[in-house]
Amino acid sequence: MEILLLNALANGILLGGVLALLAFGLNLIFGVVKVIHMAYGQCVMLGMYLIYSLKSMYEVPLMAAFAVAVVAMALWGALLHLLVIKPLLGAERLNQLLALAGLIIVFENLAHVVWGADLRGVRVDLPVVSMGNIFLKTSNLLAFLGALVVLGILYFMLQRTYVGLAIRAIAQDTECARLMGINPGRIYLLTLTIGGALTGLIAVFFSPIYSVHPHFGGSFTLMAFIIVVLGGMGNLAGGFLGAFIIGVVTSVAAVFTSTEWAEILALVIFILVVLVRPQGLLGARGAR
Amino acid sequence: MLEVEGIDVFYGEFQALFGLSLEVGEQETVITVGPNGAGKSTLLRAVSGLLPCRNGSVRFLGQPVHNLPAHKIVELGLAHVPEGGRVFPRLTVMENLRIGSYTKKARANVEKNLQEIYELFPRLAERRIQLADTLSGGERQMLAIARSLMSGPKLIMLDEPSSGLAPLVVSMLFDFVGRIKSQGYSILMVEQNVRKALELSDRAYLLESGKVRLQGTREEFSKESYIRQAYLGL
Repeated sequence: MEILLLNALANGILLGGVLALLAFGLNLIFGVVKVIHMAYGQCVMLGMYLIYSLKSMYEVPLMAAFAVAVVAMALWGALLHLLVIKPLLGAERLNQLLALAGLIIVFENLAHVVWGADLRGVRVDLPVVSMGNIFLKTSNLLAFLGALVVLGILYFMLQRTYVGLAIRAIAQDTECARLMGINPGRIYLLTLTIGGALTGLIAVFFSPIYSVHPHFGGSFTLMAFIIVVLGGMGNLAGGFLGAFIIGVVTSVAAVFTSTEWAEILALVIFILVVLVRPQGLLGARGAR
Repeated sequence: MLEVEGIDVFYGEFQALFGLSLEVGEQETVITVGPNGAGKSTLLRAVSGLLPCRNGSVRFLGQPVHNLPAHKIVELGLAHVPEGGRVFPRLTVMENLRIGSYTKKARANVEKNLQEIYELFPRLAERRIQLADTLSGGERQMLAIARSLMSGPKLIMLDEPSSGLAPLVVSMLFDFVGRIKSQGYSILMVEQNVRKALELSDRAYLLESGKVRLQGTREEFSKESYIRQAYLGL
């Protein structure tokens, strides 16, 4: 039992790393552009299908397929901004939400039409790593490390470059940022492009772990949203913390009960946070 | 340097400025006073491009700017310090200053400008790694003004820099504005503290209900009986 728990804990932490990256993208878009990207997980799903198609149907080498997916999803993010988000920037919040939620239906049905309802996956055979009694799948470990590296690069970009400074300034006070000479339109486009590239990267990390189906994205959009609210909307550090909490809680709960119960538990946590501490664990203050 | 000619500005259907005209010359300090809701802040917001002008024109250094977006106007050398300072609360003091030099031209001189600012405002140098959130009201206003200097402006527009500050801090702040003036910057300042602002000014405008009611040099303005009664309490 202890060993089972320990393994669940370790795998929860590994999952937390990738969830942190997913939540980071959603959080960044919300913080900067002030819209909730409802179809974020669905973009990951499309990225995974793209990798599958390139690898299985066109026999592109896996690494090349990964690279193409990241670039394609970045462009996809930019395209979504220009076609859907930008025209709605001045619109009512509810209309923005409805339009982006509408994308979920569009993307899922697109996947149905193109790839069908069957599970599709890229087979990658990797050994299992063991440390004492803890067994970790190499694919999970790689995804975790990859996510941490990407988060590190993003953190560096936000803290140390002019563009990162501009992104943070826009997130805090858009009007005042314009008076500094920052063009919000360009920063919004850049943010959605970065957010898109992240969905591509997550698709890369997920491909060796999961098979994809048209409704694959739903639970991850939800998971990312729970994490973002848990940590405090727009608070990147809070999102990081929230990702590991949700990752560990769902993994450990899955050991005792089932994955369905684990998701229910995640939602219960979400509801409790909204009721008791709606500003999230770290609140709006302290956000960078 | 700045020529505002007959601008009409609206908030939705509500008209805030009616055919307003105003001028700021080279190295001149101009103040704009008036009751709340007279359109003083609106004037600055229209000039810096945050609000569109429905009619009329704004020319800066001879170039029409009323159709340019705000971020382009800053590049030309027109800085706007909005009301309340509006520093970025979750950036450090140094990051706030750096973001002030975001424009391409200003970025080349960022290190040099930072040094100059730190010499001018030693208090900011001491607090450079603190979040702007943790500064006092006066320090925040100072940081906002310093931040605007980082863009290498020719004209600085200040929106009620003394509002909400303790009297002692207000004097200190006006000292700073005086120092900036003496360095050769042109200044367009909106102020509630008419007496102090007049001391610094070369010329002044009185705005009421979105129109210029009175204008004149400092001497003319302070002799005007209406101003003496309503704004200077004499």
